[in-house]
Amino acid sequence: MRAMLEVRNLSVSYGGLRALHDVSLSVAEGQFVTVVGPNGAGKSTLFKTICGIFPPVAGTVTFRGENLLGRSAASRAHLGIAHVPEGRQVFKTLTVRENLEMGAYPKAARAQWHHTLERIHTLFPILAERATQLAGTLSGGEQQMVAIGRGLASAPKLLMLDEPSMGLAPTVADTIFERISQIHREDGVTILLVEQRVAEALELSDHGYVLETGHMVLDGTYETLLADDRVRRSYLGLTAA
Amino acid sequence: MRQGAKTRLRRDGIALAVLTVAYLAVSVLVTNSYYQLILTLVPIWAVFGVSWNILSGYGGQLSFGHASFFGIGAYTVTLALVYWNLTPWIGIPFGAVLGAIAAIVIGTPTFRLRGHYFALAMLAYPLFILYVLQYLGFQEVSLPMHREHPAAFLEFSDQRLYTLVAVGLLVCGLIICMLVENSRFGLALMAIRQNELAAEAAGIDSRRWKMRALITSGAIAATAGGLYACVLLVVTPDSVFGLLVSAQPVVVTLFGGVVSIWGPVIGAAILVPLAESLNAEPGNIIPGIQGVVYGAAIILIILAAPDGLYWTIRDRLFRRALPEPAPVLPATPARQVVQHGTAGTELMRVENLSRSFGGLRAVSQVSFSVAEGEILGIIGPNGAGKTTLFNVLNGVLTADEGVATLAGQSMLGRKVHKVCRMGVGRTFQVVRSFPRLPLLDNVVVGAYGAGLPDDAALEAAVGALARVGLHRQAGSAAGQLTNKQLRLMELARALAGRPRLLLLDETLAGLGRDECDEVLDVLQRVREDGMTIAIIEHTMHAMMRIADRFVVLDHGRVLASGLPREVVEDRAVIEAYLGSKWLARQNA
Amino acid sequence: MNAEVLVENVLNALTAGLTIGCIYGLMCIGLGLIFGIMRIVNFAQGELLMLGMYASLYLVTGGGVLAFLGPYFGPFVGALCAGPIVFAGGALLHKFLISRVSGLRTAGSLDDGHFGQLIITLGISLILQNGGLILFGSTPETVRTPLASRAFEIGPIIGDATVFLNKARLIACVVAIITAITLYLVLEYTRLGKSLRAAADNPTAATYMGIDVDRAYRIAFALGCGITAVAGGLMATYLSFGPFIGLDYVIIMYSGVVLGGMGSILGAFWGGLTVGFVQQCSSLVLPPQLQNAAIFVVFLLIVMLRPQGLFGRSAERA
Repeated sequence: MRAMLEVRNLSVSYGGLRALHDVSLSVAEGQFVTVVGPNGAGKSTLFKTICGIFPPVAGTVTFRGENLLGRSAASRAHLGIAHVPEGRQVFKTLTVRENLEMGAYPKAARAQWHHTLERIHTLFPILAERATQLAGTLSGGEQQMVAIGRGLASAPKLLMLDEPSMGLAPTVADTIFERISQIHREDGVTILLVEQRVAEALELSDHGYVLETGHMVLDGTYETLLADDRVRRSYLGLTAA
Repeated sequence: MRQGAKTRLRRDGIALAVLTVAYLAVSVLVTNSYYQLILTLVPIWAVFGVSWNILSGYGGQLSFGHASFFGIGAYTVTLALVYWNLTPWIGIPFGAVLGAIAAIVIGTPTFRLRGHYFALAMLAYPLFILYVLQYLGFQEVSLPMHREHPAAFLEFSDQRLYTLVAVGLLVCGLIICMLVENSRFGLALMAIRQNELAAEAAGIDSRRWKMRALITSGAIAATAGGLYACVLLVVTPDSVFGLLVSAQPVVVTLFGGVVSIWGPVIGAAILVPLAESLNAEPGNIIPGIQGVVYGAAIILIILAAPDGLYWTIRDRLFRRALPEPAPVLPATPARQVVQHGTAGTELMRVENLSRSFGGLRAVSQVSFSVAEGEILGIIGPNGAGKTTLFNVLNGVLTADEGVATLAGQSMLGRKVHKVCRMGVGRTFQVVRSFPRLPLLDNVVVGAYGAGLPDDAALEAAVGALARVGLHRQAGSAAGQLTNKQLRLMELARALAGRPRLLLLDETLAGLGRDECDEVLDVLQRVREDGMTIAIIEHTMHAMMRIADRFVVLDHGRVLASGLPREVVEDRAVIEAYLGSKWLARQNA
Repeated sequence: MNAEVLVENVLNALTAGLTIGCIYGLMCIGLGLIFGIMRIVNFAQGELLMLGMYASLYLVTGGGVLAFLGPYFGPFVGALCAGPIVFAGGALLHKFLISRVSGLRTAGSLDDGHFGQLIITLGISLILQNGGLILFGSTPETVRTPLASRAFEIGPIIGDATVFLNKARLIACVVAIITAITLYLVLEYTRLGKSLRAAADNPTAATYMGIDVDRAYRIAFALGCGITAVAGGLMATYLSFGPFIGLDYVIIMYSGVVLGGMGSILGAFWGGLTVGFVQQCSSLVLPPQLQNAAIFVVFLLIVMLRPQGLFGRSAERA
């Protein structure tokens, strides 16, 4: 399988510190890949660097063979990469419907807009119900659905999600994960998920990476990682200094 | 006085004396009356700029309405002369008093505002006074001339004498500014400018210091206005209360160098002659050209040298920095063992503390206690409410319900700086320093906040720096510090206030393994001296090493508490961090 | 007799307040876009008003391009055409100057770049005022229309009280309302308008969506300039102006925007309308010089007591 997204030897400095050291991962077309790691591991930094918000000190990011470095963050959306950022970041003063419309900003997405919108409403019926409500007034879980719907609105080839479960009650987070899995299975969208909740994330994915203080320390399939006690110790600080 | 004050005062004082003599010499030699007028106006606008600099430069409270005070000074002198035949020699100080009163009247309601609301409100006051004066008929008021004893009424036939008085006024203003800059007044203002919340957490009563700054500023500005009236001999509402008058000190100071003694002087010395000479020559041919050039000058300087000429020149020319006078530090004091209560007794107790934002319960029925001499680790997944908890304990936020006591006294319902005075030191996630000031000055703010007098404060600051291992860098500019050193500096600042309890928020964030270890060693030493610490951290392996006990928060509630080894094995805690499915799968 | 004169005065003040208020409302929408939504402190907003007046003047009188429209249509069309001209100028201003001290470049800095914005826009204000003096001279001008001296008579309504609706002001008011509604429709329903609102709401998320946030800010800023200019052009039909007229209206604009609530275009309009209303009605009880002082009192009261305004979304109080 050809790699759709390829990250090689990525190093990023942020606020004078080295946040990522020599990180590599790859996402093949049609795969569901997860990056997990404890708080402060650099997951969000990784996400934002791939999105173009942070410039790396070293390393490359290629999407379908094309080098992304040097491309502005805004232009990446037009390539078929959709981002669901950390903390939802919905447009609070726009309605739910308008939020989704903003997701379909790139020209290519507008052609299939009606079809896409129907699909979003099927996945998240509540968004149809609350179409004219201001996004800022929704609950955390509903906002997450808006954010994911917004990501889908551009009919992307690659959907990237940054900690979608953060701040959500466990049952709500479970629903979100189910939907993401559904999107992967039914629409064939390639998914890169960055998450703190290990099992939920790994369970759904084809391949998982474990990030700890800026280093990629483990990777493998769900079963291999589950059996590896290093994951738990990494999270709960029991690894040797 | 701050450390190094004497040296700086001597240096600046000599510079001031030299410049004054030079300026007066020039003004004696110049005979053209038009240029003499310029020479008089430069120090007047300069001292106006100095007054503005105290509030808006050092203090960071951007005021766009200093014409209020300038105009009050001008009209006081003028009307006192017209109605009471009061000589300006008395009228000007009287105007200063009125300016100070006006500052209190204006400041009391307006300091409740922040940011651009404050600036806009300040903008409104002089314009309001302007319209009222126009209504009352004070369109144009001339100062009456006195044939006999003109000098007693600050009237001189020789323009150069006006310059002398103006320079005298500027010297007074600069001396006041120097004293402010070198005292805790100046440091408090700079701390407020830098980060008002952190300043409050260090014990600085920002409201009071801001008011003092406004009063000082208003009084000085009024004297400038009073003298201006004497020089121009005619006063109109627009010429002393107008928008452009309010703009004058802003432009002059920003151009010359904000937060510095010499900035307004440099700015006035360049811009006033520029504006006036443009006014005179090309201005006669093309009226308005001076405004265009003035405006262009302002734009260029703010783009090219945003902090002002003084800093840009100083930074460029003196890149191999003239070292700040090395602080003459007292010898490292012996380890100060903090003797409070007996180790093990309860120091802080929190019961059923709750705080919500809208519908979200950020902190929910949280109860725990901290014992003397203990290091308590407060951990939990992202968004668990840990920082909110600290914010409530610290006074940044109010509690919706619950109790929090320190050694039996309630911590809740107090202002931030009052909580600090009780003995609570706090660090924040984002560390801001005064980059141009030496480390010692950055740290001594904490001691001032605790109310220590100058000598004791210096001692406490030096002691704190020694404790964190930065004693040798005490004289280095804070802008050159590494991230680890900045965090240690913040810790030192909190220690300088001689607290009983330290609330540390993510002190280790972003540090590499080795740096982390160094900071942990410092924390150990601090605890061995008898300090009690509650620390929020994500770096789990570090917390395992240093904390005596853990309290785990999740979704605002206490999930578990107890010894680290036990807590980490607790199912509920594992579930919070790794998820319930992980737990289920592990046990399957 | 006295009572009827009073009633007539009151009615006329009310109608004047409404008509002028709508024009002020349009003026405030311009500032609302810049200050209310983008939080850029623009000291030169009054000068944009002035530029609109002069643009309209030169288009419509003498050898101007629109002079053929005559004195009945011309001044109002001129006001509308002043909009795009100042829009272009505003875009240039933003590109070369304003963008350096605002937006993503200064987000998160100590004061969000307000210091720099204040100074740069002060410089721009000085250049525009004095440049205007050089280019246009200091003689008071007006965009002459005979409609300014004619009025519709409505009445008698109560007793002998008649309401006089100044024709020029009435038409200006109608044009202002139409412009405001058009802008509102653009912002609410067009893709461009929504992307502007999105960029102002959350620039990070907007970038993720593929929106060029710098460009969005530039358009929003230019739009704010253009709208204020149109309001200026409309005001030019019934009052005389010089290069320094902007100073009189700066505080009115800020009062209106703050009263209406930051972040709300609709609020800005209502705020401007209210301020205009208060100003005209205060003429019943206050002498002219104190009318403006009354505006300040209102402004200070709002800022102290209800800084989020009537429709605002967030308060920034101590």
